[in-house]
Amino acid sequence: MTSKPQVAPIEFKPKFDEESLYEVHKKVHPRAVSGIFATWRWALVWITQLIFYGVCWLPWNGRQAVLFDLVERKFYIFGLVFWPQDVFFLAILLIISAYSLFLFTAVGGRLWCGYACPQTVYTEIFTWIEQKIEGERNARIKLDAAPMSARKFRLRAAKYGAWTVLSLWTGFTFVGYFTPIQTLWTSTWSFALGPWETFWMFFYGAFTYLFAGHMREQVCKHMCPYARFQGVMFDPDTLTITYDTERGEPRGARKKGVDPKAIAKGECVDCGICVQVCPTGIDIRDGLQYECIGCAACIDACDQVMDKMDYPKGLIRYSTEHAIEEHWGWREILGHIVRPRVVIYSVVLGAICVAFVWGIATKPVLRVDVIRDRATLAREVEGGLIENVYRLHVINVSETGHRYSIGVSGLQGIDLASERTIEVPAAGAKSISVQVRVPPESGKKGSNQIYFDVKSLADEKISVHEKASFLLP
Amino acid sequence: MLKVLLVLWPSFVVAGIAEGVFFTVIDPRELYLFGEPVHFSRLATYSIGFLGFWIVCAASSLMTWFLMLGPSDLNRPRGRQE
Ligand code: SF4
Ligand code: SF4
Repeated sequence: MTSKPQVAPIEFKPKFDEESLYEVHKKVHPRAVSGIFATWRWALVWITQLIFYGVCWLPWNGRQAVLFDLVERKFYIFGLVFWPQDVFFLAILLIISAYSLFLFTAVGGRLWCGYACPQTVYTEIFTWIEQKIEGERNARIKLDAAPMSARKFRLRAAKYGAWTVLSLWTGFTFVGYFTPIQTLWTSTWSFALGPWETFWMFFYGAFTYLFAGHMREQVCKHMCPYARFQGVMFDPDTLTITYDTERGEPRGARKKGVDPKAIAKGECVDCGICVQVCPTGIDIRDGLQYECIGCAACIDACDQVMDKMDYPKGLIRYSTEHAIEEHWGWREILGHIVRPRVVIYSVVLGAICVAFVWGIATKPVLRVDVIRDRATLAREVEGGLIENVYRLHVINVSETGHRYSIGVSGLQGIDLASERTIEVPAAGAKSISVQVRVPPESGKKGSNQIYFDVKSLADEKISVHEKASFLLP
Repeated sequence: MLKVLLVLWPSFVVAGIAEGVFFTVIDPRELYLFGEPVHFSRLATYSIGFLGFWIVCAASSLMTWFLMLGPSDLNRPRGRQE
């Protein structure tokens, strides 16, 4: 701070030039790569997308196998049915996902980003379409720069058209997980879609189009929270995509097969291919950067260059900070996977998973809520008996319909004056009003504990023993 | 553009979470609108709820963005718009 007061507004240098981050950015046209990691990436594209586009069409017991039925407020996942009361499982599932992400990140860096994240996967598919229609990287850069012509228009129209179809299909599939997809399909073609289904289909489709077609690495760089904090899960033993500076530098062009030592250079031939293939447009040779999504495209690319030069592969490779410093091989790297952080994550994750599976396996298939009828507390009926009225809400969580018997116990001479059975369809719920009568002398004045027993007639083991209170005047 | 994203995107994410938590706990049929039980379909209630959450969250993000403006944005002399 200066003591002289500033009169005229001085030119402030903005702390961070947010505008330029986005607007000056050049479109990244990644060059196509092949290689072992590219194969892995494509395998994951296939697996995740076959699951996403396919699973919603699978039938199960006459219904959709996986359906998050928002309207009925029931989630079906194959043989399991979840009710809002099961929200606990959802919470645990989220915790498991978070912990797995921590664990994977600590061990293998941004494996999620590089291979499995929908943003990566859809970008990969959209880029593939782009490449099929507009050609390889150089052709695309040229096309971008060229003035509008009949050819450019045709190519652009084809590309945007293909993207649109894929996006709409994705939007349709997405909505198909929340409303039964068969009905959705038929109502799409008879133009009988509900307004909100239509809205969400286009909404999700538009997001896919925008994110995978146009924004791509911008999403990872500016919008993804995980990209921002993944750094804190890294430690010097975390596997990351690393350029071996010691081996590569000083970089420089040379003829094929020249021994780097003979020309006093490192092994990087400065061909720039690692930069051209990078979907986020960074240079991995500048060191690990938060923009790097760990896709390993630069590894594949550089390995090909090394092969051509007859140099050993792995100038860019999966390695750790320690390994690079200490010149470790794979054996030592693997030996350092087990470390306190990883052990703690694994133990906690294992424990939660066991609890989760146990919880699902022992999930009750019948639930009964007893609600006292507040309007009539207790009244005297014929024969001098005292009657209390309850409402039983019987939830059948199982996959088959059941008829249940209703019993009551806990007081001398207690009995029901209403229906003794109730039929509840598969994955359904029913409420029934029950009148319970007892002789006035069988309990104390005020509240007395009684029990309702709801039992399946088909299977004795499916039963619920539920507490309630009976009021005596 | 980035500013628009900075307002719309975080609010979208938080609205998604809020929507999830709110409607897991509360059945739309238990809601009242101006003293009348909500008569929209559940899907409509969810959707309107989400858009509502989004608007509220976006307002908050907008305010954050506004308060984060630096002196260089505010000290601009009158009439000299860049
Ligand atoms: S691909 Fe390999 S050799 Fe080529 S510039 Fe990148 S690091 Fe150097
Ligand atoms: S630097 Fe390499 S691993 Fe990182 S995003 Fe670019 S190509 Fe993928």
